[in-house]
Amino acid sequence: MFVDFFYILKQIGIPVSPTSFLRLQKALSMGIINSIDDFYMAARSILVKSERYFDLYDQAFAHYFEGAELKEPDEMIISDMARALLEEWLKSPKELAEALGVDESELSKMTPEELMQYFKDRLKEQTEAHHGGSKWIGTGGTSPVGHSGYHPGGMRVGGISRNKSAVKVAMDRRYRDYSQEGPLTQSQIGEALKRLRNMVPVGPKDQVNVDETIYRTMKNAGEIEIVFDRSLKDRLKIILAIDNGGWSMEPYIAIVQTLFHYARAQFKDLKILFFHNTIYDTLWEDPQRWHRPLLVNDLVRFDPETRFIILGDASMSPYELMATDGSIHIEERSGRPSYERLQFIAGTFPHAIWLNPKLENEWPYTRTISMIREIFPMFELTLDGLEAAVTHMMSKN
Amino acid sequence: MPNDSSVTRFTGATHYVLDDELAQIVNISMALEMPLLLKGEPGTGKTMLAHAIAESLNMRLIVLNVKSSMKLVEALYQYDTLTRLNDSRFGDSTRDVSNIEEYIKMGKIGQSFVSDERVVLLIDEIDKADTDFQDDMLDVLDQMEFDIIEIDKTIKAKNRPVIIITSNAKKDLSDPFLGRCNFHHIAFPEPDMMRQIVRVHFSNIDKDLLDNAVSTFYRLRDLRGLEKKPATRELINWIRALRSDPDFKVKDLVKGDTPYLGVLFKKSPDYVVAQNSVARFRR
Repeated sequence: MFVDFFYILKQIGIPVSPTSFLRLQKALSMGIINSIDDFYMAARSILVKSERYFDLYDQAFAHYFEGAELKEPDEMIISDMARALLEEWLKSPKELAEALGVDESELSKMTPEELMQYFKDRLKEQTEAHHGGSKWIGTGGTSPVGHSGYHPGGMRVGGISRNKSAVKVAMDRRYRDYSQEGPLTQSQIGEALKRLRNMVPVGPKDQVNVDETIYRTMKNAGEIEIVFDRSLKDRLKIILAIDNGGWSMEPYIAIVQTLFHYARAQFKDLKILFFHNTIYDTLWEDPQRWHRPLLVNDLVRFDPETRFIILGDASMSPYELMATDGSIHIEERSGRPSYERLQFIAGTFPHAIWLNPKLENEWPYTRTISMIREIFPMFELTLDGLEAAVTHMMSKN
Repeated sequence: MPNDSSVTRFTGATHYVLDDELAQIVNISMALEMPLLLKGEPGTGKTMLAHAIAESLNMRLIVLNVKSSMKLVEALYQYDTLTRLNDSRFGDSTRDVSNIEEYIKMGKIGQSFVSDERVVLLIDEIDKADTDFQDDMLDVLDQMEFDIIEIDKTIKAKNRPVIIITSNAKKDLSDPFLGRCNFHHIAFPEPDMMRQIVRVHFSNIDKDLLDNAVSTFYRLRDLRGLEKKPATRELINWIRALRSDPDFKVKDLVKGDTPYLGVLFKKSPDYVVAQNSVARFRR
């Protein structure tokens, strides 16, 4: 029963497993599902395992039982997006042409009206192929469609109601909000960084070491000798280097602050350093980057087991990274390009990574990002990215 | 056993306001004998639900509070080596030292298995433990049995407990884990529901106070830039604080005065945000 419903769920992208479908059949055969409301709830709790898919489920349910249309993104949204594209086009024609993979000169021949139409067509094409994944336009995050979900305005509530309240509920799409990616909060960062730790024995000797106790007792010919150990505590050394200068990091201040606060509260042995854009001869221990410099050469004094985390958008002009006098600060003129300095850090700390607040799909558009990626493994500053970063940092042990 | 799950249906308890959805899901999970995984913002009553189920079904509730350092075996049983060592040394206890079984203590999951009656087992904040713990635990809950290695004995569940698992995390649990649970996400209650909830806690509450407190509460929840939004628990405590203050008048709330913000906001940056915007309400 309801096999096609199962396939609709699968088709619109909810990960449903056959086992859970069989379980739903079992529930149906047990006679505990007596109405469409029951079915709505039962099928959801059995088949759908994350609130992120509740919205999709609601859409699929309304479609299956009520014939509500599964939506194409409607005209208004498309024209909104096209308008945004047009603005983008006016700002930097070349970049946009590149992102769309078309010839700049061809576009520039069109009138604004034609251009709008062209963008609209392109967008429609794209939505059909990608189920509304509207992130293909990667011009530096100015796209109005900020997340990857399939999210047109609302479901058409015009379907003929047959007084089935579950369908109404589904048509309300109450779970719309949950399918969006929320901002990263401190507790979420904690969640992701939880596995980043290195347990070493510290503190008072208050735990019984059973094996050792048995061994000693045997040695003592049965006279009991209890051996205590120190308990294990986390003593991971971390250096967090934050890019806190320049306008390019401005949009990410909130997220960086969150990470910063979490790191300070969580890690006992944490050193926070600051730099601007990229690292030259010095890192700074004070956020103003003035009073307490730390020479990059001195980093060799630190434990190489230290996890070195660099946090920055890695976006700058290529010469800032490559030229021998790349630093915009006149006093940093040792004749070594930043590129070499970064290589030096990567060589000193095998567990070094780069966290980038820019999303991964924007990376290919900035040249310095790909250059820095050759030196450091780079991860985006999202839940998934943090997880991957932690796995990477702990794996080489 | 299976038959009493269909006889005992869950309809709600005295201190818990249950929406129909949730009652339905609880009943289905009981009938299918599957653990029910509850997710949702802190303060939406995930833990309370288990208490309510236990109360309304008249079962004993066993709570396993998961900790990050916890090993699965601790939740199952513990072998008290130290006591045994002492007993063998001094020989002044009534226990039989040669019988290891006397030194096995059941953990929370173990207790729920050996209990003579069916119990409600609440596994609270599963997301704190690592993935291995979660998967191994579900194996045990699937099989409804585990081995005690020291005495080579298999403990089988006498009665299948009603299992409720809660998780705060926004991050998803592992797929195999999710595959074995029923899932429900408790959304934050709507104002109407919230009024009912408050009424359950304060049966004689003044309607004016209730309406104004709840609407102020939702307005404060909507502030931008909060790290931890106040939840039901905070609202209840806040109303308790307002009621116990003899100088407090409901009029003040209408005017935009909001005393005892500290009860609602427990993180200092949030408190500051709230204070600033409360100053704006007043104007």
